[in-house]
Amino acid sequence: MAPAGALVLGILAYPVAWEIWASLTDFSSRAEGGPVFVGLANYGRLLGDAWFWKALATTLGYLAVTTAAKLVLGVGMALLLARPSRLRALVFLAVFLPWAYPGGITVIAWYWMLNPPLITSYSVFMGNVKHAVDGVLGAGAWAFLSVVLFNVWRGGSFTAVFLLAGLNAIPTELFEYARLESRSAWQRFRAVTLPLLAPYMALAVFLSFTTAFADLGNVWMLTGGRIIFPVVGTYAYWLAVKSGQLAEAATWTLSLVPLLALGLVVLFRWFDPREETGA
Amino acid sequence: MAQVMMKDLNKKYDEVHAVKDVNLHIRDKEFVVLVGPSGCGKSTTLRMVAGLEEITSGEITIGDRIVNDLPPKDRDIAMVFQNYALYPHMTVYDNMAFGLKMRKFPKPEIQKRVQDAAEILGIQELLKRKPRQLSGGQRQRVAVGRAIVRHPQVFLFDEPLSNLDAKLRVQMRVELKRLHDRLETTAVYVTHDQVEAMTLGDRVVVMKDGWIQQVGEPLDLYSRPANKFVAGFIGSPAMNFIDVSLTDAGGLWAEGQGLRVKVAPAHATRLSAYKGQKVTLGLRPEDLRVASGGDPAEYTIDAVVDVVEPLGSEILLDLRAGQTTLVARVEPAVRAKVHETIKLALVPDRARFFDTKTELAI
Repeated sequence: MAPAGALVLGILAYPVAWEIWASLTDFSSRAEGGPVFVGLANYGRLLGDAWFWKALATTLGYLAVTTAAKLVLGVGMALLLARPSRLRALVFLAVFLPWAYPGGITVIAWYWMLNPPLITSYSVFMGNVKHAVDGVLGAGAWAFLSVVLFNVWRGGSFTAVFLLAGLNAIPTELFEYARLESRSAWQRFRAVTLPLLAPYMALAVFLSFTTAFADLGNVWMLTGGRIIFPVVGTYAYWLAVKSGQLAEAATWTLSLVPLLALGLVVLFRWFDPREETGA
Repeated sequence: MAQVMMKDLNKKYDEVHAVKDVNLHIRDKEFVVLVGPSGCGKSTTLRMVAGLEEITSGEITIGDRIVNDLPPKDRDIAMVFQNYALYPHMTVYDNMAFGLKMRKFPKPEIQKRVQDAAEILGIQELLKRKPRQLSGGQRQRVAVGRAIVRHPQVFLFDEPLSNLDAKLRVQMRVELKRLHDRLETTAVYVTHDQVEAMTLGDRVVVMKDGWIQQVGEPLDLYSRPANKFVAGFIGSPAMNFIDVSLTDAGGLWAEGQGLRVKVAPAHATRLSAYKGQKVTLGLRPEDLRVASGGDPAEYTIDAVVDVVEPLGSEILLDLRAGQTTLVARVEPAVRAKVHETIKLALVPDRARFFDTKTELAI
């Protein structure tokens, strides 16, 4: 473990250290002179920034919706793929392609699908859909929905393959025994499949969290870079790369760390609790 | 009446014909063992009884119902798997209660049944533990307990002791036999270990390549094997087989591969039809002993000792006799040295003969 750990930490150490240092200064491409150490002032300002809280709330909402959708889709598709059937090859293609195909290309395809570049009856139709959704759910709802859709489409397939690996790791006899004792597939699913898949689901959920926090490819490209869309990770990118405000960007990004760590701990406690080995 | 009847049972997987025309009647309270080498169809047969495999053709009856189309849950059977199949996320108690919970038994009833089973198996202190905290033997007990609480009509065992170490296996074998005497439930047990089969079975079914080779009580299979396969499979070390020709020289003699022994009068009449033909002679290692002066020469064999295996309670001698090899099981007092020539005496009546073409016993 130690050499692997040393390698991982070594590769991560410099960028992380730099980021922490940057967040403690006023490093900006606009400022005159070199960066000045300002301590925790950036963080203080962040916590008082209403925009930050809005971004955080939106991010958490985005995270919740996409994770839930991906989990349901993932479990469903994994179950479909687990047993040999005539549909299997088709389902496998449907599951595997969204994830395997380069994101940069598929996101453009979705972009054009949702925001057609040519004026046709289809583009008019999509325009109407957008207005309808925004009309019912409020401004920005369509943008939110389209970003969610793409995330779920791509991430759902990853989750499915991931959970399929989990299902295959479970010995067949455990399922066979359930068949001997229960006639209801739903009963077997709840009592046996779900608990046994739980650790894998926990990991899939955590991976979903990390992508939701910083879903740059999706959010940036799907909205054509016009809406930086208050997702914390994307806004940090805009601040850093587009605005040159590196210190502030670093602060935004690092603010997520305690949240992610907490999420990790909670998830694994919940899904895969370690028992004390007692007498 | 919890009998199990299999009528013309067949199982095909695409081109593979795994189970061929199995006909078996297992009586109420009987402990029947299906034994045979890997791939002989014993597990497939068991799984068809359980309902885990589709029946290609034929009929299975449990009790007084034909169960072909009944789902496994409704067949009133309980199964114990080779690798226990315990749920890692549940305690021992929950594992044992699983089947009853699925069938919506009331809590007090579940508790009583689990406690009773735990007592019988001596695992009361383990009820709150998780499977990963148990040893192999303990896990196996839980798996058996899980089957007991169901009070089924038939127990099905799929090589339950194969994952245990040798000593534990011997111990558990005895415990299972005791359990069966106590519970008096019909049981079908699958194993590849012929010692298990002989110890546990009221009757033993030897299978090979999907066919039933012989059904009978253990000692019957031992002393009167129906064919060469059963003769070689039951009993350890395996029976010695020698290809011989039967000649008439003042009595019937068996000659082959450099050996020449007389055929006991008890067998001679039966074998007279094979005079002048080739047959296979079978001699069990335990029916070969070191000859003393008083042994008649026509029933002795000269052999050279190749390997001596001292087991303590007996000695196994690997010998070269004529152009063939033999294994003999002799008393521990025998002093035999490698490369030494000794005389072996066989027990004339216990020799077995098999047709070379059909491999059936003559």
